[in-house]
Amino acid sequence: MSTYVYGITAASHPSLPEGMGGVGDPPRPVRILREGELAAVVSDAPEGLRPKRRELLAHQNVLSEIGAAGCVLPMRFGSVAPDDDAVTGVLAERAEHYGERLRALDGRVEYNVKANHVEEAVLHHVMAGNPEIRALAEANRQAGGGSYDDKIRLGEMVAAAVKDREAEDGAVLERALAPAADAVSVGPESTGWLANVSYLVKRETAEDFLAAVEQVRKDMPHLEVRLNGPLPPYSFVEPGPAEPAGAATGGADTEVG
Amino acid sequence: MTVVPAQQTGGGGGSSGLYDVLELVLDRGLVIDAFVRVSLVGIEILKIDVRVVVASVDTYLRFAEACNRLDLEAGPRKSPGLPEIVGEVTESGARGKSKGALSGAAETISDAFKQAREGGSESETESRPRARKSTSARRKEEQE
Repeated sequence: MSTYVYGITAASHPSLPEGMGGVGDPPRPVRILREGELAAVVSDAPEGLRPKRRELLAHQNVLSEIGAAGCVLPMRFGSVAPDDDAVTGVLAERAEHYGERLRALDGRVEYNVKANHVEEAVLHHVMAGNPEIRALAEANRQAGGGSYDDKIRLGEMVAAAVKDREAEDGAVLERALAPAADAVSVGPESTGWLANVSYLVKRETAEDFLAAVEQVRKDMPHLEVRLNGPLPPYSFVEPGPAEPAGAATGGADTEVG
Repeated sequence: MTVVPAQQTGGGGGSSGLYDVLELVLDRGLVIDAFVRVSLVGIEILKIDVRVVVASVDTYLRFAEACNRLDLEAGPRKSPGLPEIVGEVTESGARGKSKGALSGAAETISDAFKQAREGGSESETESRPRARKSTSARRKEEQE
């Protein structure tokens, strides 16, 4: 029977969610494997586990429970060991490393910030700051919308200006929040957002961080800022600068739908 | 870990907040070489949509239209991002969403999750005739 691993924590963790429902249908009960000063939070791995929404949520919910009462090193979704012994073997072998990471992250949580432009507001900024675009838009308007080529030309210019503005605003946002955090991890770029940044924040200063986010929302009203947290420190489990995290799940070309 | 006001996480949040968290669950966190990782086949829809090409003719035309409609005299929205704007903007047509200019992909993903939730079975994303889906399919074609 293979073993699904949610995360690694200290054996002294005050409240591990033993018996809670984990991944699978029906949900497999969460078990605790202890080895020395460490504990792994696991369950049986269901056959044919797939990255469906409910499974991802089950993984996240178990980690949230652990994280609510103490530090946890969250596993990436879908980590399966051959059996329980393989898990305790890894805990024993890398005890020093995981112990160090748990101490380093103790009392800290991750906040993930993603931001998009509010379309109409950013178009306003782009038009206001770019006479060439303004002139072209005006010419198009007077020509009753302009020809197809005119529209494409205008749209291209606007798209480029919006893109520049995204990079600019993303950098401003990142810098504005960094002082309120212990560490920063920039997530993969995507067209889904202009900023995707995780911040490691001490629980006791979380209020300051949240206040900084509110300030950014006030200062940059043309951004839609999405804040998620407190979360287990997904982006800070390994020391040093976080690597771009996009590579792991890409690659397959299968069409769905 | 669920007691901060104004947060969107925790399982009951909005679909975009949920997607934002799942991105972390899938892409970050500890990896141990000795363990295998379950196949992520089935999650491609998420990855594909995240990489939707922005600079498409559709986008250009949409921006051009939006600029033609834009009233510069009115100044930027006083309070963009607040809930009221959603109501206002949806009135002006399906394409004019209040989301970020280039954020259509995130919405598509939310839709995918929504479909998964509603469908419940493994094949929920297949052969389901709905208006939303054609949007997502077209996006995929665009970037090929």
